[in-house]
Amino acid sequence: MTSKIPIILDGDPGHDDAIAWMLAKASAWLEILACTSVSGNQSIEKTSYNARRVMTLLGIDAPFAMGREEPLHGEPIHAGNIHGETGLDGPALPDPTIEAEPINAVELMAKTIAASDKPVTIVATGPLTNVGALLILYPELKPKIAHISIMGGGLAHGNWTPAAEFNILVDPEAADVVFKSGLQLTMAGLDVTLKALVFPEDFERIRALGNPIAVVVAEWLDFFYTFHRSIGYAGAPVHDAVAVAALIKPEILTARDYYVQVETSGDFCRGATVADHYGFSQQPPNTHALVDIDREAFIDLLAEAAAWYGKESE
Amino acid sequence: MSPIPVILDCDPGVDDAIAFLLAKQLPQLNVLAITSVAGNVSLEHTNYNALGLLEFLDWDIPVYRGAAGPVFRKRVEAAEVHGSNGMAGYDLPHARSEVEGVNAWDAIHQYALEQQGALEIIAIGPLTNLALAFLKFPDLPQLIKRIVIMGGSSDAGNATPAAEFNIYADPEAADIVFCSGVPVHMCGLDMTMKALMTPDELNQVAALGSKQAVFFRDVVQDIVRFMSRLGITGINMHDPAAVLYAADDSIFTAYPAGIRVETKGTITQGKTVTDLFSDAKWQKNGFVAMDIDREAFVEKVFELMSKY
Repeated sequence: MTSKIPIILDGDPGHDDAIAWMLAKASAWLEILACTSVSGNQSIEKTSYNARRVMTLLGIDAPFAMGREEPLHGEPIHAGNIHGETGLDGPALPDPTIEAEPINAVELMAKTIAASDKPVTIVATGPLTNVGALLILYPELKPKIAHISIMGGGLAHGNWTPAAEFNILVDPEAADVVFKSGLQLTMAGLDVTLKALVFPEDFERIRALGNPIAVVVAEWLDFFYTFHRSIGYAGAPVHDAVAVAALIKPEILTARDYYVQVETSGDFCRGATVADHYGFSQQPPNTHALVDIDREAFIDLLAEAAAWYGKESE
Repeated sequence: MSPIPVILDCDPGVDDAIAFLLAKQLPQLNVLAITSVAGNVSLEHTNYNALGLLEFLDWDIPVYRGAAGPVFRKRVEAAEVHGSNGMAGYDLPHARSEVEGVNAWDAIHQYALEQQGALEIIAIGPLTNLALAFLKFPDLPQLIKRIVIMGGSSDAGNATPAAEFNIYADPEAADIVFCSGVPVHMCGLDMTMKALMTPDELNQVAALGSKQAVFFRDVVQDIVRFMSRLGITGINMHDPAAVLYAADDSIFTAYPAGIRVETKGTITQGKTVTDLFSDAKWQKNGFVAMDIDREAFVEKVFELMSKY
């Protein structure tokens, strides 16, 4: 299985992070080297506990380390209105059997990348605090980072504020470091993730698979959709799973290469990802931005991944 | 229906010139006056060009001289697009001159009083004159029915990746206008980048034969060349589309939105931020035009230009 892509999962679970990790674990193309938590959807204590619970549930047997509560600069922001008090409300989950390593997330990332024979891909589905810190503190490891696939930003607009998407808004300085890094960067922003809607009938398809993990995934979707339905969404936008789908099934996605910058200041635009759409700046592209998705194929991908856990336990 | 009384606030400017050609022929509009403002090029040029365009069109309406630069900042211009005199090198000599002793913002207030609440403004340059008018006359918001602007973008910009030129040229002025309480209809790049006329269509306009129709094609040729370097075949009719919108919005799609202008960002100064697609919502202070029926637009242009 040497063809597998070695990855680090860095996220703030979070319902859509958990579904992204579910997709990653089930994929024959990915090898999870480590998981790290970041403060975002909820406090670092909560996202770390959730990360350990999700790893236990999914059977992800890899080292785990906690990130920090604060972004690189500024105060934390959380999204309890979307993900609930625990950050992963909904179905009951097993108590975690995974323990956190006695080092922080950035050190675990660095150690993992340094020890890997092959360049490592980072799947970042939360604020970019850990990834930004890694690039600042361990620049010598950049050649060993193959690719960073992020869920974050929006070329055209935001969600948490009119201009900014949540993950980038939480830590714009870290995001700025990542976008300026020169590394291969895939951006699953709102442009694509708001098209990656999972409809209630899709929840039922996944629930009907019957295995315990498929049922939990359906219940995460039930919970995640409750908030989104209240603000007019036709389905649950499983943002983070698109960052994983980009690695395992890029053919279902449409991408364009843009020069993207992160606004770190301003009255309204802090956290905005600004793309040079018309090319007036004459700067070379730094971002492979996903802009569209074959929704049906994406649902198939999620359902096939959920079904894999049933076969696994047989 | 009686025509809408409007003031055309502008910075001619090549596409402003086309806007003049159309505005004169639109039966829905009664253009009471022109106010000039620095923008594409300096006020000396834009004011001169406004007077020259009126002479060229034999159009007898007053011109009021406006602001020579932004409310708070240094002037930027777009001479690389419009040519050093703003009119792609065309000199438009004229005998007439602007109204003595009355500046643009005082004129806007005076007309607004006279029209008793019916006045609309079509602003196709930086919004400096309007901002100064709102700053000077607290009663003005109650006297203006609607403001249609060419400016801004809910998405990407052209002056910078984030900002469209007219807003970038005076972001504070633009935010003052958006916050004035008068509904602002934003004809920005979302729509105007789709208001494209192809070189073939420009030739067809010229073939109508009048001196105005030939001028229509010829004055935009430098911009056509400029755009081709960006991979766009033809010219985006930014200002003319805003004038047509003001006259008849039936070929446009616009949505109510909360709109503000970023004045402080590092890379986003002059960006118009809209809440159209965001989960976070603002109080609605205007409309954002997102689409245009391009074919119908081109047909409209032919119809108006054949009146010359």
